[in-house]
Amino acid sequence: MDIIRITLKGIFRDRVFQGIMALGVLFLFIPSAASLSMRQVTELSITLSLSLISFILLLLAVFLGATSLWKDMERRYMVSVISLPISRSSYLLGRFFGLALFLILTSTVLGVVAGVMIKLASGIYPSDRPIIWSWYVLAIVFATLKYILLIAVAMLLSTVSTSFFLPIFGTICVFLASGITQQVYEYVHSPISAQTVSPFLKTVSSLVYYILPNLAGFDLKVNAIYSIPPNPAGLVLTGAYFIVYTVALLGGSALLFNRREIG
Amino acid sequence: MRRLTFPVCLLVTGVLGYCILIGPFTSYMRNKPIEEKLGFVPSIKLIKPLSADQQELAGAALVMKVLMYYGGTLGKAQAGKIVSESIDLMGMSRMLHGAVKLDPYNMDAYYFAQGFLTWDAKQFKVANNLLEYGMQYRTWDWYLPFFAGFNYAYFLKDYSNAARYYQKAGLLSNNNLHIQLAGRYMQESGQTDLAISYLAAMEQNEKNAVLKEGYRIRLAAFREVRRIEQARDRFKELKGMMPRSLEQLIQSGLLSPVPVDPYGGRFYLESSGKVVSTSKFAFATQHK
Repeated sequence: MDIIRITLKGIFRDRVFQGIMALGVLFLFIPSAASLSMRQVTELSITLSLSLISFILLLLAVFLGATSLWKDMERRYMVSVISLPISRSSYLLGRFFGLALFLILTSTVLGVVAGVMIKLASGIYPSDRPIIWSWYVLAIVFATLKYILLIAVAMLLSTVSTSFFLPIFGTICVFLASGITQQVYEYVHSPISAQTVSPFLKTVSSLVYYILPNLAGFDLKVNAIYSIPPNPAGLVLTGAYFIVYTVALLGGSALLFNRREIG
Repeated sequence: MRRLTFPVCLLVTGVLGYCILIGPFTSYMRNKPIEEKLGFVPSIKLIKPLSADQQELAGAALVMKVLMYYGGTLGKAQAGKIVSESIDLMGMSRMLHGAVKLDPYNMDAYYFAQGFLTWDAKQFKVANNLLEYGMQYRTWDWYLPFFAGFNYAYFLKDYSNAARYYQKAGLLSNNNLHIQLAGRYMQESGQTDLAISYLAAMEQNEKNAVLKEGYRIRLAAFREVRRIEQARDRFKELKGMMPRSLEQLIQSGLLSPVPVDPYGGRFYLESSGKVVSTSKFAFATQHK
């Protein structure tokens, strides 16, 4: 509990956080930017809001997730921490839950601010389709889960790296790859690729698909923007996927962190 | 003090240089050829993975780019009536097709493509294929079948397909007008009236000032055409023959006041009696 509290305090003092949150000023421009649309002002305001929230959460997840453990080791705080009566696993989990809690707080605040901006934009140019606020909230919840999972990826990479390069760039690469693994998997298993894709490449692609996180399922922007009902069974599956994948990542991180030499 | 001399000199040189350069640089950017302004867009196969979870934003950005480019050129044409370069309609079409691959629900892309692919580029089949693609996603939207129905009837003279799409639009919108139009498109007569009712609906719902003005001008031109057609038909009823020219209609007192083409052209009658204009209902363009 103390580690979570310390993590949260540390983030609020962090300059990286303050710099990234300055991006929040952009929310003020959403209604005027959305008014440039010809037929879908409300839809564009939701697109811009969810995109900006997603971008801010991505920056926070990558930079805070990748530098949290690294900073402790770099500043030699870790040496004093391991002399305290807490296990390394509890310390790592404390850091993770602190960051996850911070991301939830941030997305709640950003979601409310963006909601006000969307309401403003839709008040000026009402949409043909009603805004379904519960789906808007759902899109933000799943985006938050996605970036919490990405924090776990960043922390796993932090436990094996001695610099911040691997955690930061590795997390960005995992994020980019995780959005397209589904397309690649579907392509290599389609009849049209049978002639061009070798069985070896097919096996490698499938392996990569199962190892890397599949973050495409967490993207519910289209449902929120155009009021398209999401698939409830799919949402339950995605939620379960988040839990098991994050648990596996944290388990792996704790294992590696326990074996790491600190000093 | 000496320590600061070098950075101050550097700063002053930089700021002065910037002030001298910014004028010519802005002018160079403003006068860039249209192809460069619209820009080259990499393959959508590449944009799609690179845009990660921001595909809707990337799609909206492509639509905005086309809209800004077209709005700027059209604005110039409406003000001075002469544009120095022809509009890159195919480039615009490529970008909008890319936008709907990124976000197949983006209504701006369909709406805008329908506007210029039909009236300006005369690519009716391309426009209809795009609309049909959109109908697979925007299943609730009556605008897409409404547009497709109009294209089939007015441009392609395919009345059975027009009726089919107008019926679909009528079912989605519960609008009696669309159902009536579905029946009306089954016959070839009344083309100008149909164009007027279509353009009037478009103009009424348009909020983009430049496009609204574009519709208003085209509507004004078609209303003048309708006035000439009515005078021509009245002339035929009274005299038992087609008028030879527009002047004959004016002299007979059936056409007053003299019709004015808002595009700056001159109306005339073809030998078949069809009303046309030297402007071809577009502002003059001057190719380099």
